[in-house]
Amino acid sequence: MRYCFFCATLFLAACGTESRPPLAADDVVVTAPMPGLKMSAAYMSLTNHSDQTMRVSRVTSPHYESVELHETTMENGVARMRALPELKISAGATVTLQRGAKHLMLSRPSGVRETVTLQFFDGDDLVLAVDATLEPRNN
Amino acid sequence: MGPKNFIVAIVLAIALATGIFAAVRFNTPAAPSSAFVLPAPTPLPEFSLIDQFGNAVTADTFKNHWSLVFFGFTHCPDICPATLQILAAARGELEAAGQVLLPRIVLVSVDPERDKPELMGKYVDYFGDDNLGVTGSLTELRKLTSGLGIYFEKQVGDANDYSVDHSAAVLLINPDGQFHALFSAPHSTENYVHDIPLIAADH
Repeated sequence: MRYCFFCATLFLAACGTESRPPLAADDVVVTAPMPGLKMSAAYMSLTNHSDQTMRVSRVTSPHYESVELHETTMENGVARMRALPELKISAGATVTLQRGAKHLMLSRPSGVRETVTLQFFDGDDLVLAVDATLEPRNN
Repeated sequence: MGPKNFIVAIVLAIALATGIFAAVRFNTPAAPSSAFVLPAPTPLPEFSLIDQFGNAVTADTFKNHWSLVFFGFTHCPDICPATLQILAAARGELEAAGQVLLPRIVLVSVDPERDKPELMGKYVDYFGDDNLGVTGSLTELRKLTSGLGIYFEKQVGDANDYSVDHSAAVLLINPDGQFHALFSAPHSTENYVHDIPLIAADH
């Protein structure tokens, strides 16, 4: 009993005073791959609930061979897609991943699935794991 | 004229001026709000590409119906499907509104290396029936794009994971097979639904 109490205290200490995760994802949309293709996009808003700037430098998924941070930009009428080295999210700030802007590109899914998991890392720290249901593109 | 009559005259003059202004302002025929209509439509350049069935696509393919032409590629998860969705939604709304001459949606691949006819077919079919997916040789593609002021440039990447920068504009081709109007990004369904009937009626 005392041991369990000790564990609980450790757990609470590890979590800090807040119970919510340091990074939260809302309005998550992961598109289903187009017919004949092996790539999807993911959109969401990411809010940094911690008191420190977060730098999401890596996103992984057990369900895709590759996940990349991308940004579509429009300049002089030309659309460009570029890999982003990281997503910088200030303390308390929200960064939105949306169509025609910053987004995740998910490539080569391992099999056909209805839900996928995305894991967000700041350096080596896992700051968010989110499950999302694939949404057909024409919804 | 007494001061009272003078004031009445001024008030009447202002009312008249306001009325004339309103009549001019609000009776102007509706004009396209977002499309840039070319002062003189230009014929398409000579080119020879193929569609998703392997049939030849030339300048003549664009005759006898309106076409909305977008230049993109299938390995583009973000902006290309979003644009085609907007065009498909616009076509659906025009059809529901009883527009007789529905524009055909055409995707011209700027990535012919990966976009083979079969893949183009699957891709364009996803956005509705009657869509045309155009691909072919890079040389023939350049003839079409350079003649229309469309830019594209393959970016450095892995053999299968490269991106292609491309003009985001949608071109409206008229039933004479001429480049008639241009819609610049950002695209919205409402713009197409509003402008296409006006442009078609004026043609």
